[in-house]
Parts: sequence; structure tokens; C-alpha cells
Amino acid sequence: MSDKRVITISPTTRIEGHGKVTILLDEFGNVTDAHFYATEIRGFEYFLRGMDAERLPFIVSRICGVCSTAHVIASVKAIENTYKTEITETARKLRELLLMGQIISNHSIIFFFLTLPDFWFTPEEDPSKRNIFQIMQEKPDIGKKAIALRSFGAHILRILGKREVHIVSTIPGGLISPLKEREREGLLKEAESACAITKEAVALGKELFDRNWEDFRKAGDYKTYYMALTKGDALEFHNGKIRVINPEGENFSELAAQDYMKYLEEKTYEWTYAKFAYLKALGWPKGIVQVGPTARMNVNRQITTEVADQELKEFKRKFGSPAHATLLFDYARLIDLMYSCERAKELLQDGSMTRRDTRVEVKPRGGRGIGVVEAPRGTLAHEYVLTRNGQLKSMKLIIPTQVNNAAINLNVKDAAMEFIHHGEIKPGLLNRIEMVIRAYDPCIKCATRQTNERLRVEIRNSKGKLLKIL
Amino acid sequence: MAFLKQLRVGKFVKVNIISLTCCAGCVSSFLNAGEALLEVLSGDFEIVYSPTFVDLKEIPKVDLAIVEGGVRTEDDEKFVREVRAKSRTLVALGICATHGGITSLGNILSVKKLLEKEYGLLDLSKLPELKDLMYPIGNFVDVDYYVPGCPPMPFLIVHTLKSIVGGRTPVRHQSVVCTECNRKIIPAKLKRLYGVYGKEADPETCLVSQGFVCLGSLTRDGCGAPCPRSGFTCFGCRGPADALMYRSRDMYAFFVKVISKRTSIPAEKVKEELYRNPFIFHTFIFSKLERFKARERVI
Repeated sequence: MSDKRVITISPTTRIEGHGKVTILLDEFGNVTDAHFYATEIRGFEYFLRGMDAERLPFIVSRICGVCSTAHVIASVKAIENTYKTEITETARKLRELLLMGQIISNHSIIFFFLTLPDFWFTPEEDPSKRNIFQIMQEKPDIGKKAIALRSFGAHILRILGKREVHIVSTIPGGLISPLKEREREGLLKEAESACAITKEAVALGKELFDRNWEDFRKAGDYKTYYMALTKGDALEFHNGKIRVINPEGENFSELAAQDYMKYLEEKTYEWTYAKFAYLKALGWPKGIVQVGPTARMNVNRQITTEVADQELKEFKRKFGSPAHATLLFDYARLIDLMYSCERAKELLQDGSMTRRDTRVEVKPRGGRGIGVVEAPRGTLAHEYVLTRNGQLKSMKLIIPTQVNNAAINLNVKDAAMEFIHHGEIKPGLLNRIEMVIRAYDPCIKCATRQTNERLRVEIRNSKGKLLKIL
Repeated sequence: MAFLKQLRVGKFVKVNIISLTCCAGCVSSFLNAGEALLEVLSGDFEIVYSPTFVDLKEIPKVDLAIVEGGVRTEDDEKFVREVRAKSRTLVALGICATHGGITSLGNILSVKKLLEKEYGLLDLSKLPELKDLMYPIGNFVDVDYYVPGCPPMPFLIVHTLKSIVGGRTPVRHQSVVCTECNRKIIPAKLKRLYGVYGKEADPETCLVSQGFVCLGSLTRDGCGAPCPRSGFTCFGCRGPADALMYRSRDMYAFFVKVISKRTSIPAEKVKEELYRNPFIFHTFIFSKLERFKARERVI
């Protein structure tokens, strides 16, 4: 196979982390396969063995600087699960608020900085112009709003988490210090303007989405199972049961967080060292499941806050339930954002948030524990086995990007087949493939914490002979 | 550093933002700067290359390159060398770029052993090339400014960048975190040391005199001491302070003395308790520094 038949996009831009796409073409120039893979590795699971449990949360936080708060909360929950600690109601609410801060700061950046340029410009636009800085020059207002929204999320994290990135306040047993009344009032004021900005962002997103929908719907749609946390059929990020629905939208199963690891299995594909997580009960490839914003919308029937609930109903009316088109991730992310702002406001209005009982004593003990939260990109699970002395024996993490990995690869292939025919390739079309990846907002930083996450791509001919390794 | 005065060529300062092996937290921290970020972006900067924000795939020539992350793969090395060759000034942002960061904890074993442990039957010749260890970028290229921190606080990043763009040397932080912490050092009589979650901290007394292992007295200031102020021990993410960067200074002996003095626990017992806590001093600086000689370049 000659080099002409392999297209590589590297680096994939406007996503978090280093990624690469390889598309394989046959002799007629049509797509035979496409792979998306990460180009960096680190190795957290391995080198943390032997680490003191009390030092774990702030170290695993460094897996990802973008969703660090979600990692800290999952980690602390896993340790509490091992220690059999029940935290107070106040601590639970404060943690939920922290998680809302995480979603707001993450989603605002993704919408405004990473995906908005795709909706704003046509695919034929000069790539050097297709970015937020260009939009900011045309409309300085949008930049200001993006930063204001991001700042609200960052303020929640700074005030409650004590730092914006890699928070330190959340510890096994609760939170290190309570929220002050003055801080609550300040944040509440910001929450109101954040809600207003988000409403505008949702309107803008919907307008651009409607305009491009005919195009977008072709970019890939793969019918899979969906998984997310739920609490009485409503959207939930912090506590709740894990629900899985089938591609038709019926409930497939519901499980407690403690059973999560038993429920999922990891597979290694022959062309890659990366692991793919899937539903064990269904096997591979039937058990491919997706997590993230669209999954959250598909799994839940309602949202407890007003505006977000209306948006959810509209989403379901427009795209059906479950909705499958890949680019709907971007739409669903806006509903997430709306909910987070409203929920943060709701929590901040609650006078009992400033109660001082944020912490209970923990009694260290050995054993196994799991912590599950909804991270910005989907369901995130940490499982630790601790020794009696409180040291880490082993850890297993299932990260949203790892669950979505299979779907991302399938979608990239679908999109490539849709847009590349008879060897004809335009830069705008390749950007469209990147858009599919961007929709998932895969966090390669998270996915590459393992030593074994580096992918290898092999090119084989029809007889299975190995021709080239990428 | 006279070369800085010539940094601005056109109307804007052309900037690269590059991520090597890291968690992307430093760029996230930069984005948290709020109003100041807007000012920087609309006033002085033109970000011409950054895989996170801009679609350009070729590395252009720039005035200022900001590099986060360390060198873990051969690709990283090639990349950072190319970036250095194409930029007038280079800033190492964050502890991964300056000292190796958390990822360098993986240096306890060689790559070969690391991979063998995970995969018994691995054919190493077919794997993408990994470096034997995680290195800070200073081992490969000349760095003009080091901004350690995990991540550096937004105001520190903005201050550094603004100073560089304005042709000034950024204010250097040479002291220790204790100088920015508002807690009072009151010598106490304790029997043992405590873990971070061991007991509730008194809000006003120094964490070390309460028996917590707080690294504030070893760590470079410039962060505003957010962790010890809130009751969480400093864990050294800004790297060692100026005085402790000399190899002749024994960080460990110094720290044992500090704890022993403030808690009245005999030095021998302090050593014994510290020994049980792996990586306590080197959580962020485990990597091997080869060319980290330019102390006056650490911000």
C-alpha cells in the first residue's frame, strides 16, 4: 500500500490533548477504515502503587487539569466508600456545587473556544481564521461573555475548592472548611448573570445548529447503548444510580455505583493497545455504550430546573429519544450548562449551605471502594484497593473517553466515508471529521494516564498481511 | 536580559502555546485569569499556533512560545526543539515543564520494566518511541523563563507574560510559601505527626506546629499560599525555593530541623515518621535536572 492511500491529520486541533487521525483508503480512493488515537502517555495507575491514600486525591487530580475537580471528587468518594464514611448533607451539597463549577468552567470553554468556530464559519474558511480569537475580533461581546461564564465557574472552584485548578478543599470525610455567608452572597449574584449569559448562549447555539442541521446530521450517527447517572429520572451529576438504556430508548438496567466495575469490561483491539470499555452483559461489539452530554439527555426524562427542563423537552421533541446524531453532543452540552448554572443558583439560594458541619472524622481501613460521578465528558469511576496501613494496592479507573473510544472511532469512520469519495479530499471535509471528534470532546489527557493507552495502527491488505505500522 | 526589549516586532506579539506531556492544567489556569486574560488577548497577544484553540498545523516563527508539559516521548523532544528554534523567547509554564512534575514519579522504573509489567509479551521495537524517563524541557532546550507551579496561579501567569511583552523582567519570587501564609508560628509540644486528614486544623496556627507535614518552608513563594491558608498542607508544587536549589543544601535535614523545632518531637522520631510517607519531598520534582542552572530565570 502506498503512502498516498493513508491520510493523517496531526495534530487534531481544538481538543484537549494530543490526538491523531488516520484514514485508510482502498485502491479506488474510498475509505476502508479510520482510526482516532492519542499520541502521548503517562502511567498513573502504575506509579501510584504504594502511595498513601490520603495523598491520592490531589495526585490523581493531576491526571487532567481540565476536569480535575471531577477526578478529586470521584477519588474522595472511592476512599470514603472504602472507609465506610457517611458525609454530612452540607458537605454533599457543597461538593455538588463544586461539580457544577467544574461543569460550567469546562463547558463554557468548550462551547465558546473549541466548537463555536465550527458553527460560526463555513468549512471552506481559511483554517488560520477559524478560531475564537477571530470571532472575538468580529464580536468582542462574545469573548467577554465567554470569559464571564468561565470566571463564574472558576470563582466557585476558588472559593470552595481553594484553588481554580486542582482543588484541595475536598478530603475524605467532607470539606476542609465551610462556605462563608459573604462568599455565598457574592457567588449568588454572579450566578444570576451566569444564567442570563447561558440563556443567550443556548439561543445562539440553537440558531447556529438549526442553520447547519441538514449538514450536521450526515456527520455520523451510530446507534448504541447510553449510560449516565440518574436520580428519579432526573439529570444528576453527584449522587445517584447508574442507568443504561438500549438504542431504542428502553431501560436496559439500573445499577448502584458499587457494581460499576463488574458491569463493564475492557477490550483490546487487534490494531491498538488502547482499551475500549463496553457492557459486559452484551459482549463486544454489541455492548458499545456512550456516555457524556447526549447520553445524559437520553437517559434522563426530566431536569429539576425550569429552563433546562424546557430545553430538554425541546431537544427530545426535535431529535427523538434517544437521539443518536454525533454532533448533538454539542447541543446537549448547552443543556448541561444551563442546568449547571440554574442548579448552582438554586444551591446558593439555600441558606443551609453555610452550615459549619462540613466534616466528619474518618477511620482508615483496608478494602475496596468505588467512587462514581458525572464528569463533564461522562460517567467517571475510580476504584481503589487499599491495604490496612492505608496505602494503595491497586487502582482501576474508567474514564469517559475510554468508554466513548469505540463510538468515536466508529463515528470517525462513518464521517470519513460520508465525506471522502474516490480519493477526493478537501481541507473543509477533514475539518468536519475533526468536528465529530471534537463533539465528543475526548480528553486525551485522561485517557493517556495509563502506560498502555498509546495506540498502534497497523495497515493490512485484504489478505491480512501487515503492510505498515503507523 | 537585553534581548527582551526587541520582542515586539509588529503590532502584536505573536505567541505559540504548546502542550507536551502534561494534564493541560496550566493552560486551564491561564484561561481562569478572567478580565486580565481578555486584556492580554485583545491588547498585546496574537495566538498564532496552539492545537487547543487554533486550527493551524504547522509551527510558525513567533516572538514568544509558552510551553506546558514535560518531555516523555521522542516526539515531545523533537517538537520542543523545533519550537525553540522558531521562537525568540521561550517560557516553561508549570512544574512539568520546569521540573518534570507528577508524571516524573513514573521514573521509579525504566520504561522497559514499566511496559513489561503491564504487558508481558510486548514487542518494544514496534512501539512509538518513549524516552527512558520523563524530563523537564530545560534538559533539551534553552529556557528563558521558568514559571513553576501545578498549575501556576492565573495572576502569576498574567504578570509574567505582561512583563515579558512589555520588555521588563518579571518579579522573581525567591523566598518560601511561609512568607505569604498568614498563620502564626507557635512552638508546640506534640507527641506525633499527623496526616492531612488526621485531625481538624486550627485556623490560625502554623500547620507544622500543629504536627502536619506542610512543605511551605521549603517551597518557592508566588502562589499566595492558597493551600496552607485554607488548612491543607503545602505539598511543594512550586518547587524548591532559591536557597534550596543548591545541591549542597540538604532539604531533608533542614525540614526535619524545622518540624522538630516547632513541635518538640525529637529529630530521630520525625525522620522515622517521614520515612513512612513516600515521595513527600519529590511529588513534583522527581525528575532529573541536567541544565537547570539558571536560577535567576525562575519566576
